Amino acid sequence: MAGTQGIDRVQIAGSQLVNVMGGQFEFVMASDKESRVASVLPSESVKVIAESVGVSGLADEASSFLAEDISYRLKLIIQEAEKLRQHSKRKKLTCSDFDSALQMKNIEPVYGVSNREGYVPFRHASGGGREIYFTEEKEVDLHSVMGDSTPKIPVDVSLRAHWLCIDGIQPSLPENPPPATKELQKQEILDTSLKQTAGPNRLGQKRSHPDSSGKHKHSHHQKHKDLVKLKNLATHELSVEQQYYYKEITESCVGPDEQKRAEALQSLQQDPGLHQMLPRFVAFAAEGVKINVVQNNLALLIYLMRMVKSLLDNQTVYLDKYLHDLLPAVTTCVVSRQLCLRPDMDNHWALRDFAARLVAQICRNYSNNTNNVQARITKKFSKAIQSEKVALSTQYGALAGLGELGTEVVKSSLLPYICMLGDRMKYVNEGSALNSIDKIAAEHIKKQLIKYLPPVLKSFHNSSESVEEFNVAYGYLGPFLYSMFLQKEKGLTSAGAMQTLATPARSTLQLSQRPAQIVIQQPAPSTPGTPHQSSFLTGTPSFQRTSSISSMSNPSTPTGVSGAQKFVIVSQGRSSSSISSTPAASNSLMKMVGPSQSQGVAPGVGPGAGQKIVLIQGAATVKSDDSAATPGNQVRTSILTSSQSAVGSTATSSSNISGKETL
Amino acid sequence: MATTSSASEVAVKEEGSCQYDKQTLVAVLQFLRKHNLKGTESLLKEEAKVSEDDLKTEEDKKTEVSQALAAVYKSDDDPSLFEDLYQDLKTFIDSCLDVHKVELATILYPVFVHMYLELVFNGHQWNASQFYSRFWQDQDEHRHEDLARLTSVRQKEHMVGSDNQLLESFKTSKFILRMSRDSYTHLKRHLQEKRLSPLLTIVQDHLFIDVFDGVPRTQQQIQASGGGLIGEVDRDANKAKVLFGLLREPDVQIALDDEEEGGDGDEKPKKKKSKKDPLLMKKSKNDPNAPAPTRIPLPELKDQDHKDKALAFREAKKRAKLDHNHLPSICFYTFVNAFHGVTCVDISDDSSLLVAGFSDGNLRVWSLTPQKLREMKAADDLEIIDKEADDVMERIFDDRTASDFKTLSGHKGPVYSASISPDRAYLLSASEDGTVRLWSLQIWTNLVCYKGHNFPVWDVRFSPHGYYFVSASHDRTARVWATDHHQPIRIFAGHLSDVDCCCFHPNSNYVATGSSDNSVRLWDMLNGSCVRVMTGHKSAVHCLQFSPDGRFLASGGADSQVLIWDLGTGTMVAQLSAHTNTVYDLCFSREGTMLASGGLDDSIRVWDMQKIMAEQDTEADPSVPSNITINDSPSLLLGSYFTKSTSVLGLHFTRRNLLLASGPFEAPS
Repeated sequence: MAGTQGIDRVQIAGSQLVNVMGGQFEFVMASDKESRVASVLPSESVKVIAESVGVSGLADEASSFLAEDISYRLKLIIQEAEKLRQHSKRKKLTCSDFDSALQMKNIEPVYGVSNREGYVPFRHASGGGREIYFTEEKEVDLHSVMGDSTPKIPVDVSLRAHWLCIDGIQPSLPENPPPATKELQKQEILDTSLKQTAGPNRLGQKRSHPDSSGKHKHSHHQKHKDLVKLKNLATHELSVEQQYYYKEITESCVGPDEQKRAEALQSLQQDPGLHQMLPRFVAFAAEGVKINVVQNNLALLIYLMRMVKSLLDNQTVYLDKYLHDLLPAVTTCVVSRQLCLRPDMDNHWALRDFAARLVAQICRNYSNNTNNVQARITKKFSKAIQSEKVALSTQYGALAGLGELGTEVVKSSLLPYICMLGDRMKYVNEGSALNSIDKIAAEHIKKQLIKYLPPVLKSFHNSSESVEEFNVAYGYLGPFLYSMFLQKEKGLTSAGAMQTLATPARSTLQLSQRPAQIVIQQPAPSTPGTPHQSSFLTGTPSFQRTSSISSMSNPSTPTGVSGAQKFVIVSQGRSSSSISSTPAASNSLMKMVGPSQSQGVAPGVGPGAGQKIVLIQGAATVKSDDSAATPGNQVRTSILTSSQSAVGSTATSSSNISGKETL
Repeated sequence: MATTSSASEVAVKEEGSCQYDKQTLVAVLQFLRKHNLKGTESLLKEEAKVSEDDLKTEEDKKTEVSQALAAVYKSDDDPSLFEDLYQDLKTFIDSCLDVHKVELATILYPVFVHMYLELVFNGHQWNASQFYSRFWQDQDEHRHEDLARLTSVRQKEHMVGSDNQLLESFKTSKFILRMSRDSYTHLKRHLQEKRLSPLLTIVQDHLFIDVFDGVPRTQQQIQASGGGLIGEVDRDANKAKVLFGLLREPDVQIALDDEEEGGDGDEKPKKKKSKKDPLLMKKSKNDPNAPAPTRIPLPELKDQDHKDKALAFREAKKRAKLDHNHLPSICFYTFVNAFHGVTCVDISDDSSLLVAGFSDGNLRVWSLTPQKLREMKAADDLEIIDKEADDVMERIFDDRTASDFKTLSGHKGPVYSASISPDRAYLLSASEDGTVRLWSLQIWTNLVCYKGHNFPVWDVRFSPHGYYFVSASHDRTARVWATDHHQPIRIFAGHLSDVDCCCFHPNSNYVATGSSDNSVRLWDMLNGSCVRVMTGHKSAVHCLQFSPDGRFLASGGADSQVLIWDLGTGTMVAQLSAHTNTVYDLCFSREGTMLASGGLDDSIRVWDMQKIMAEQDTEADPSVPSNITINDSPSLLLGSYFTKSTSVLGLHFTRRNLLLASGPFEAPS
């Protein structure tokens, strides 16, 4: 009696085995070479099973003999189950295969064990050095079963027809796979060898429009194949449908209708079959940038960048081949001297930030040891930072570009040149020529610094350092950075909260960023000053300010594109469409804040709700905590004029630091 | 049915019935004895006059056989010697000239297997696993699967009994090798030097070396023909003549066609065309390779069949030309929401019906034309119909039952194969439950359940002339049935493992079967003998298809290869490898210039048959294996068409050469 029970248990063990293997069994026999040495059930398992059916004290010898034999029988049954799988034309072995195999051997199958696709009904638990597989049986609340609405009936099988191929050419239909998968596109690029013109290569399929003569390039190539090995000329003939699509998409992308644009951008982002049209789209974007930069057409530039963004987000295209067109265009939008007609009013900063993020995205996805994109880009940006002659707006862009590339890049390529940047800003702020454009630019640069520097500074300095050290290290910007740094150190809770609150979108970006992906070899930034211990807050006038700038916000674009098209506007987050609508307001506000004026701006002024961030500079009257603890970060504006008791070198800069953010 | 009388001649011959009864009696007696029913046993024995001897011999035979099998591996040799011996053999082969090396290397696999089994049998388990782990990687890649099965045998007890099919094949059959005389002499000399070694015993006991005169074969030739479970085929296996030519089409049909053509008006261009048509040329000539039309009794054609033929002929006129410049169009029928359920697909010859078998035992028939599926009217209603009316075939159907698809339920296990009869009146299905069922596509119900295979039936196919069908099963046999007999009329036994697929020759005189023993066999319907054995597949064969002219056979299998065989000589003509997973269906274009293959790798590949036929070396003497050239040029692949995530289970060329394909979509996990 015990014997037959034992066999039952063995069957269960068998079905357990097959279930556990179910997930991984796929062609185990053909592929798995390491585990080729025959495996045997451990004799302990046999003992446990024996005990569970009431046979205790099984001799070691007996159990090991049983284990051997059971393993052999199990393997036989699994071999049979394999046959059933093959004939069911599936890729995975299922429990029912195993049951049928048992039936074929005239053994009662194990009832009640089943698996759905890719689902192993046994859960694995380990602990105390033991590994256990067990079936998970959830308790079902009958009341809820009775009460709940009946689950949906699965959809019935149905038959659908489509053209897989017409006269040997696969049409681009949603039912067909994209002409070339990303991997294949990648392979094609990396593959420098001459291509076989004949069939086997999937990319070798000619995509030419079927012409009436019926003469395909295919046969043409074959004729020559034996004579010379020809590298395929990439023909870029587009079918009529594709041409139409191209026209529609490009028109919508730059047209006035925001709804249409959203659809077009979504199509660019999600359609799998764009591979063929990529060169056209990329050329369109590149040419568009060239023209519109000259014409200072900010809106169009933004549209084009959004288009590039969509292409970059498309999972099925591989843009490596088109970087030579794409990168200059995007970089132009980052660092161009002028991007709009009225640099003092228009929000070209947002475009720069957006484009900078695109550059970072390109670097992340396509930089490799062959093209060294990231290193080259970094070098360019770094050069712009170091240069004395370039426009401040360019420097702003470079700053954004470097910042987006990650802390390591900031550390190596930006930090060493902060002094130079500081001198430049000092000149702008204190210089005789009062150039409002430059001043605004300097303002924005500071905001950028606030955005990108704190994490880096933190790793360099500790809280006991004094402002002098910062002055030594960073020159003109020293005190500013120091206050920023202190802020970071001190208000980890409050200011930090603000910071995180202000950077929700940012965080996702940083997550996806590869840390320390540095290709360039540059001497480590010289440690600013000689770090020595000084007591905290001794005799030094404390500069306290709120960490202010919400570096990024996520305004929903007015047209309701939000979901699909995440166009994130950076800093002074006016949405792109409102650029022209509110310049007057912002302008006036800017002017209100003069160096020696103290003017309170009533809360609620300014377009839209959002955050108005406070900049406080001057005597240590307001603690950072206070302002940071502003209830709910609601709309609030307060301007605190710098008192006459000038604080160090920053006296004049106070006005610049204070500002207004409209979100 | 007028056909029945003529066809029943082929039915079971009655001569063996006496023997059959005796066997049954003996079985009953054994049953009685087993259950200790002595009274009945003696009574029955007396009554049936079965002597004790008869019973004994049956049992004795069994034990004798198993003893003999066991004794085969008995030896007293030192187990540690085996490793050295094998190593020695390897070094010897390595030291040979390159020409001989490749041929001699084929001996390594069987020697390895038998050495391992001998070690296991004599209880040297540790030595066996040592031996195995040292040398298994030397074996060919495609053998690894079998070797993995072999390692599960670890004790003497495992070798007793017959439930391990692989082991049994090794025990009972000799491993067949072919090599040139020069190589063989080399080997013989070496083996004789080691006269006393067990190596010689193994070679003598378990290997059959078929020696041929001629140049040694090349690596490619050996690779191509190797792979069978027990090696290659000896030269005598394929000696029989195969009448692969097509049967003459009945004259009535052509006359009918002329009428049709005359009606169309523009006679001249069509006649020109028809002369060019290779199929028409064949018909007018008398093919020397064609069997006599009466060699196998075939059902007579009905009026409806004549109409169908005429229609088919007219359709064929509009056929698209296919060659390497004119690639086919493919229309793909995807099953959605199938949830792994679809196990087989078949499309009727006139491309109007598609049937799919499901793993829950159901069958579902779809109409691929706007014509919906209708049921025949009830008997009472049929009474009133005017039987002389022209559209009587139309009137018998009930329009109220029209639907896009019909479901047929009856099997209690997954349906592994389905086949629609050429006249679209019947449907056959084979299932895991061991039965083959015949369904009517007019009253949409089960007509016959053919029970004969006791194990899952993997494949079933109608003969191109209807009436006959062949089934292939896990029980290692293929059986031919006639639809009106519940017993098989032929049983083809000979495969060493499951018969996975089967197919009728276009002239209905032959049946091809593919098996898990990696071989393809061709059987003669007339006398049930095996006329061709072809090895070359490295894994189970899952699909077979004859070329329309009957000369070539294409086979595809789990080794992702498609192989083309010449039935005249039984040699491999081409080896088509581009698939990356099991090939599950094959289809020739209607005029045979193109072959389409599809499978689990979600792709359809199209191959250039024209080129294969043009480049085939017909001059070479097939009796010398080294003369055979196998075409494996990559340029034979004309196109690869990928689906998104749909495996290709069914392929079908319409009469106008549009390729229809079908398979279930599976969302990639």
